[in-house]
Amino acid sequence: MTGYLIRRLLQTIVVTVIVTIITFLLLHLVPGGEVRAILGVRASPVEVRTYSKEWGFDQPLYVQYGKWLWQMLHGNFGFDLKQNAPVSTLIWAALPRTIVLAFIGTGVGLLIGIPLGILQAVRRHSVADNVLTGIAFVGYGSPTFLVGLLLVQWFAVNLHIFPPFAPQATSIGGILSDPVALILPVATYAFVAYALWSRYMRSSVMDNIVQDYVRTARSKGASERRVLWGHIFRNSLISIVTLLGLQLPVIIGGAIFIEVVFNYPGMGLLFYDAALNTDIQLMLAITVLTTLITILGNLLADIGYAMLDPRVRYA
Amino acid sequence: MAPLLEVNDLRTQIKLREGVVHAVDGVSFQLEPGETLGIVGESGCGKTMTALSIMNLLPTGGHIAGGSIKLNGQELTTLSDEQMRNIRGNEIGMIFQDPLTSLNPTMTVGKQIAEAVALHREVSREQAMDRAAEVLDLVGIPRVRERIKEYPHQFSGGMRQRVMIAMALACEPKLLIADEPTTALDVTIQKQILELIDDLRIRLGMSVILVTHDLGVIAGRADRVAVMYAGRISETTDTDTLFNRPRHPYTEALFQALPDKAADAGERLYSIPGLPPDLVNPPAGCRFAARCRYAVDRCRAEEPQLVSEVAGHEFRCFYPVGPSERTDTGRLATYNAAPAEAALAGPGIGDVLLDVSHLVKDYAVTKGAVLQRRVGWLSAVADVNFTIRSGETFGLVGESGCGKSTIGKLVVGLEKPTSGSISFEGKDLAKSSAREYRRERRNIQLMFQDSYASLDPRMRAGTLLREPLVIQRLGSKQEQLKKVAEMLDKVGLPRTAADRYPHEFSGGQRQRLGFARALMLQPELIVADEPVSALDVSIQAQVLNMMKELQHDLGLTYLFISHDLGVVRYLSDKIGVMYLGKLVEVGPAEEVYLRPAHPYTKGLLDSAPVADPGAEKAKVSEGVTGELPSAIHPPSGCRFRTRCPFAQAICADVEPPVQRFAGEGHLAACHFPLQTALGDAVTASAALPE
Amino acid sequence: MAMMPHADPAGAGTLIPEAAQDLATPGQSEAKSRSMFRRGWEVFAENKLALAGLGFVIFILLFCFVGPHIYVTPQVTVQTQNYMCHPSSAHLLGCDDLGYDVVGRLMVGGQNSLKVGLAAAFVACLFGSIYGAVSGFIGGIIDSFMMRIVDAVLSIPFIMVVIILAVLIHPSAGTLILVIAATYWPGPARLVRGETLSLRTREYVSAVKVAGGRNSRAVLRHVMPNAIGTIIVQATFAVADSILILAGLGFLGFGVPPPATDWGSMLSNGLQYVNLNTWWLIYPAGILIIATVVSFNFIGDALRDAFETRLQRR
Repeated sequence: MTGYLIRRLLQTIVVTVIVTIITFLLLHLVPGGEVRAILGVRASPVEVRTYSKEWGFDQPLYVQYGKWLWQMLHGNFGFDLKQNAPVSTLIWAALPRTIVLAFIGTGVGLLIGIPLGILQAVRRHSVADNVLTGIAFVGYGSPTFLVGLLLVQWFAVNLHIFPPFAPQATSIGGILSDPVALILPVATYAFVAYALWSRYMRSSVMDNIVQDYVRTARSKGASERRVLWGHIFRNSLISIVTLLGLQLPVIIGGAIFIEVVFNYPGMGLLFYDAALNTDIQLMLAITVLTTLITILGNLLADIGYAMLDPRVRYA
Repeated sequence: MAPLLEVNDLRTQIKLREGVVHAVDGVSFQLEPGETLGIVGESGCGKTMTALSIMNLLPTGGHIAGGSIKLNGQELTTLSDEQMRNIRGNEIGMIFQDPLTSLNPTMTVGKQIAEAVALHREVSREQAMDRAAEVLDLVGIPRVRERIKEYPHQFSGGMRQRVMIAMALACEPKLLIADEPTTALDVTIQKQILELIDDLRIRLGMSVILVTHDLGVIAGRADRVAVMYAGRISETTDTDTLFNRPRHPYTEALFQALPDKAADAGERLYSIPGLPPDLVNPPAGCRFAARCRYAVDRCRAEEPQLVSEVAGHEFRCFYPVGPSERTDTGRLATYNAAPAEAALAGPGIGDVLLDVSHLVKDYAVTKGAVLQRRVGWLSAVADVNFTIRSGETFGLVGESGCGKSTIGKLVVGLEKPTSGSISFEGKDLAKSSAREYRRERRNIQLMFQDSYASLDPRMRAGTLLREPLVIQRLGSKQEQLKKVAEMLDKVGLPRTAADRYPHEFSGGQRQRLGFARALMLQPELIVADEPVSALDVSIQAQVLNMMKELQHDLGLTYLFISHDLGVVRYLSDKIGVMYLGKLVEVGPAEEVYLRPAHPYTKGLLDSAPVADPGAEKAKVSEGVTGELPSAIHPPSGCRFRTRCPFAQAICADVEPPVQRFAGEGHLAACHFPLQTALGDAVTASAALPE
Repeated sequence: MAMMPHADPAGAGTLIPEAAQDLATPGQSEAKSRSMFRRGWEVFAENKLALAGLGFVIFILLFCFVGPHIYVTPQVTVQTQNYMCHPSSAHLLGCDDLGYDVVGRLMVGGQNSLKVGLAAAFVACLFGSIYGAVSGFIGGIIDSFMMRIVDAVLSIPFIMVVIILAVLIHPSAGTLILVIAATYWPGPARLVRGETLSLRTREYVSAVKVAGGRNSRAVLRHVMPNAIGTIIVQATFAVADSILILAGLGFLGFGVPPPATDWGSMLSNGLQYVNLNTWWLIYPAGILIIATVVSFNFIGDALRDAFETRLQRR
């Protein structure tokens, strides 16, 4: 397993470097270059030139990249002129909120999706399976924001059961202390996640159910319940764990829509505001950071996979 | 004594999209306590479904449609699910063909066995694990205390099957059902496993149902045999009688299709024409009638019942064969005589065509994703020498991992040798220019083992056969198409086959197609890598006959690679035996088989099951003990020494020299050969009289 | 070096469903050879959901591209007199805040959604497939590096990159296609690379080499035709995903700029008036997006089955 982990770690480092290069190059895609990205599209040429000299933007690209990377490694993402605050301050305030919401939402989705997926696989082609498959397909085909807005329309505007906005508190404790306001955003997250994971789980269990080892378990006299939970379940989860890692970017990306719909002050909303302000610098910083989080998540998922699967653990 | 198991008129059906498959259609048999019953038949005959029906472990869509199964007088077909679970693993244990996929990959073997115990005995977790250790010890797993905590992938194939057996026997069932238990294993390991099952049967006093396609396995192990065909038992009796006096034409034909029986006389194999019937709509009369050489109108109209002339010998035939009352076996002789003579006179042995000299192939074993640093070498082929003369068939035998397929790939150029040379007609293939090399490819063609994998599924047969001609730019399109049509004739496929896709052919037909493709460039040498090992006996005979005929007609030379000693012996003039990358013995086929010089050759021959109960019972040798060592760290000196009964200190220190033995070109590399050597041979090729 | 354990002659005995199928289909010598396309279609047509999906996609294409010629409505100049009018016989689904007829709006918006979705999927799959095939075929260190780039792009939440690009490059239907494709290609690339890796070790590719054929022949005649199924299936899903991405961009205000529109932008616009209960501004567009995406997903699922030769055998 050590060999596997070292290999994965090396890959992760290479991927991280490539990600920083890609985002750095994105910065240079801005018409007029990165200085305009910071100063805004309407800055005068003189302003641009002065600023470039002052901050070293007239140096060769690789020097700039080196400096940029060095600064980032120290948690310094620069100063955001539009919001008049250091980028890192803005991000560190928003990031935990996004993580809390994404974590709870995905968690609820998994808790619903995995058991239902198993149920569907065991009773495949039953009425329940067909109905759930239909729901999952709709969930899978619905834009996240539409799900959120329909929930707002029905449960907040029409029925007045839940507030239309997510908790606006700044601290995590504050957010969690208003669980009612959290229900709709979490439900949106969970519905989308459910649709995905119940599909994955259904096909994973169906792959395993026809395996020879399942027949062996039955030949021992194990009951169907025992066969399912003692044998099939664990083997099916293994493939789900890797998929979970791969889906992280989508999960975090989905935060943008949910946070915009529910006006939840996380990274997604911060990113959206930055986009409306054409604040490229802030957008890139958020992108780099969330990417690093997904890379880390991927690594964790692979470690989890290695721990779950003895074929990797004792390779 | 009351029978342990009574199966009466069992009918099992499987619902598929195409309709209902009558997989088991009226099967009856009895099993006495302590007895071994062999159920034998070709793929799709319903033998596995019969076994699964007893356990009520039928696949989705399968169900028992009628009949009864009684274990100790208790009816199993009407039991509730829960009652049936009490039987499974407790009173009936079962082992399956592929021990790797049959074990849960994410559970330690100890837990998997303990689970079986805990399900049927009121025991604590510790007691269940203790029992697991006990049975693992019983089935011959060394260092049980350590290995009990390991996972299936950490065991070798043979050890995994031992684990499966331990699991099936953990609750000391009265009946063990073994469904093709050794089909995925090498012969030496197969022998060990079969001995183990036999030994445990006696020690635990249980009965065994041995389901297999291999008549040799049945011959040595079963007390009684049931031959199945198309969902029914066609003949059943005690093993000796079945092998010596078969009455059903199908049984008779199966024996005649076996290459090991024919090898001595070198006669053409009898091959059963056609294919088994469609079990969705089984034919009205005798199910074998369409393929039976003796069938008359009555056979096609009316279904024969199981009858017996002597107690304990039942068969389903109106006109049984064999000597008991009928004396018209002459019919059989005349049937076979005519085509046999012509086909068997070989094309005549000529000059050396292929000379393999000091051939070495190592594969790098790497670690690390980025740096790919080399951590060792896997020695696949180590200093192998042999020659093949034109018109000759050179058989290369050995167990999986011995390097025989690698040699095939090296000869056809799919792999490059690490060192050594391969000369064809005196020219070193490695030294020829790229253009020459592409042209010379024509002369050496490969016939693959898995015809399904080797034929592009999206190309029609005609296109597939034409492709080699297109690649080598031989002839106009018209000429190429004409050649394709001629080749289809030669390999016995209808010309309309050209329009079909590979998956529309049966296994035997596909193998003919694969052979046809190899012949398109009119090669001199065909490397045939396990060409018949995926086929049933009767189909195998068809392909072998075809290969032999075309060898004569076209003057072909074969390098025939196989794990099956019977097949190799039937086809080959010369035989090379490989072990862990080394060619340990080479010589004329008869010499090597009858007077092997190398202990491994002897062990291999003793391990291979023979379809002759007398010969099987007379065997005293253990075959080859132990397991195949790793090719990454092969044993020093003689590579076979770790499993050799005669090994001494010198075997570990000095690599044995190649020595000459009686018989032309009979060479072996052993310090303690089984017969007196005639003298040293520096290398095999140098010693060959040329 | 992996030497096959000898395959089992009777082995089908344990692969039960297959063994049973063999029982049901001996020889097939009588069967007429149907073309691969025909058999694939038969498998596809058995999937009722996929047929429904295909039907809906055809309907929606006609609706969007032929519809405006039959149901003619002004869609360029603001029709203030029709401001937010309720559904009536004159305007089947009412009008929006600029007085555009909603049915007509759905047609022109759908044109953009479909055009962008189809084109982005095509570009992404084309580039991704070539990239993946090259990487898989070259192998070694170059393959490792090319795949790390794919990993990197895949770990960036692509919706963020899409938005950044949409902000940087002024959105139009054309640039949106490129923007979506630029972030979507790694998925197909990874898939096609895996397929190439597995196909190039197939025995039928070896057979070409044994006959003296060049690598190019193996790739063009054997690897590509066998990989094309995977690519087409992937492309179908890519269309569904692209339509969803475009809808998301439209919602955030980075969709096709006015006076043109797309379904996502229509939704975004309608959602401003949620409190007015103007359902006709939300549900029709929402339903069309979901139905179209679900249809393409159904088709993709069935195509995957249809390309599976194993399922064609019967």
